[in-house]
Amino acid sequence: MVVNVPLILQPLVALFIGAVLVPLVKVVGVKLNASKLMDVFAASVLAFALYKLYSLTMQALSGSPVEFYLSGFPPPIGSALRVDPLSAFMAMTFCSLGLLVAIYSIRYMEEDTGLDMYYALLLTLVAGLVGVVLAWDFLTLFVFWETMCVSGYVLVGFRKYKWEPVEAGFKYLIMSTFGSILMFYGVSFLFSLAGTLNFTQMAEALHGVKSPLLYLALCMIVAGFGVTAAMVPFHTWLPDAHPAAPSGISAMLSGVVIKAGVYGMYRSTFTLFNPALYNYGAVLMAFGVLTLTVANLMALLQRDVKRLFAYSSIVNIGYIVTGGGIAAYVLSTYGASSPTLASSVAVFALTGALFHVFNHAIGKGLLFLCSGCFLHEAKTRDLAQLEGIGRRMPWTGASLSIGLLALAGVPPLNGFWSKLFIILAGLSIPSDAFMVAITALLILNAIFAAAYYLWVMQRVMLKEPTERASKAHEVPLAMALPVVVMAAVCIVVGALPGSMLSFADAAARSLLSFIIKG
Amino acid sequence: MSLPASSYVAVALIMLAVGVYCLLTKRNLIKLVIGIEILTSAMHLNFIALGYAPPAAFNPLAQVVVVVSTGLGACVATVALMFVINAYRHYGSLDVRRLRRLRW
Repeated sequence: MVVNVPLILQPLVALFIGAVLVPLVKVVGVKLNASKLMDVFAASVLAFALYKLYSLTMQALSGSPVEFYLSGFPPPIGSALRVDPLSAFMAMTFCSLGLLVAIYSIRYMEEDTGLDMYYALLLTLVAGLVGVVLAWDFLTLFVFWETMCVSGYVLVGFRKYKWEPVEAGFKYLIMSTFGSILMFYGVSFLFSLAGTLNFTQMAEALHGVKSPLLYLALCMIVAGFGVTAAMVPFHTWLPDAHPAAPSGISAMLSGVVIKAGVYGMYRSTFTLFNPALYNYGAVLMAFGVLTLTVANLMALLQRDVKRLFAYSSIVNIGYIVTGGGIAAYVLSTYGASSPTLASSVAVFALTGALFHVFNHAIGKGLLFLCSGCFLHEAKTRDLAQLEGIGRRMPWTGASLSIGLLALAGVPPLNGFWSKLFIILAGLSIPSDAFMVAITALLILNAIFAAAYYLWVMQRVMLKEPTERASKAHEVPLAMALPVVVMAAVCIVVGALPGSMLSFADAAARSLLSFIIKG
Repeated sequence: MSLPASSYVAVALIMLAVGVYCLLTKRNLIKLVIGIEILTSAMHLNFIALGYAPPAAFNPLAQVVVVVSTGLGACVATVALMFVINAYRHYGSLDVRRLRRLRW
């Protein structure tokens, strides 16, 4: 019997079946005396899913969005999947980072036990992430959301024989579950007004509707996704959970899982709530800048290098949320008086925000994998003891420097372009004092963040090696390879941002297609 | 005579408040897990109550959501209790104040 699986399902099916097969492959590997068989299998499943997502992306970019109704039931009952440029953009980012992390884990995790569970959970984590961005109704989104979250909790607590992962994992579980329940509670109000959970039908049913119930729903949805996105004041789980996880998983969590929260927030707000009726843009901008400021101040106090990077992830979420806030604010304030200007600024700001999603995923993934290399060699996360280790590990140290410079926004690298887009969008209407003030705060924070990135770089690269650091050696090839590849991506995307920018632009336009017609 | 749907919505909101109160004030790890369960039930009740839209029939999607979400809630509860067991092995206590080595 040949089962004809539609292209849109193939990445998901591959990832889930791969996750189920991982323990069997482990048994086969033990029988054949090939200890790395399972690791290579997990990486090849991710590579296959990435290849399938690439063909999906090409379809989504060339024409109209690809839609699919599960088991042939049309909405509102059936579950719907859809790929438009935004979903494709996010899914490609998630899956490529997943592949790099799987390759990295081959050597990094070799001293741990229970690796079949590790790889199975990594695959379900990526499957959940890809499913969240492909889902086109809230029920499907919720199922994949919980798949992603549960895999994330268990992976944070993977080394359960230590106290830190257990504590951090429990805290992450309580806060994140609270967030997803709050989000779905808000969705139930939308459901009562729309009578369906399909995004297209909800957008039609809620078009032009203004009711206090929807304000409540909007608050709950933004706050619920905000917990996973680690917006201040819901950020407190992140600096504990991300350092406690194994470094590859820290890279996944910081690089892409919090981006799924941002995706959910943008998708639901920009699709279902017209900014002309609900002025959430100002609130998002204010929270974005608050996130930036608080996280920047906290990052300065850290001695633990992974904790510092975790706070820096919150900072970058601040940029992304502010970018989306600028788009919504411009649409709500100037949408009526000068619609052309408003829509072009909104697309510009969202392009910057989404491009920053990609840049931060690569950059922060790189930093966490580098800190994992240091942890592997020097067995410490203390910045004071890691001084000068970059001299002993030239490849890792150079890649770390490139990652730090990229996130600091130094011009030839990728982080520069996305920040430039967000800032230019914020300054595009000079007569608007609120927007200019928010952007000024954003620029100040960016400079401040750049300063401590350079400070970390100076300590790791230029200082005399400490006693512990001088014993370190360069990591094995399988760990150095993903790190160097990501550093190369930072440089290439920074030097030639054109194709990524046009992809992000298409993604931003597809996100706004329910608000701006044509 | 049946209760109007709005009373169920009110009860769901009260349950939401109880769940949040439980999460904020309780010091026992298992009570925190119970708080999560109360929140889940509040969300389910709200879905069921709002799925009833007179004069039309009951919207079956609400029940689909609740059945699926119950299954997901079981997964989350299992993982949460796994963490509780491991925390008990480390600390010999279920008091959340013992878990304050990480800054909250």
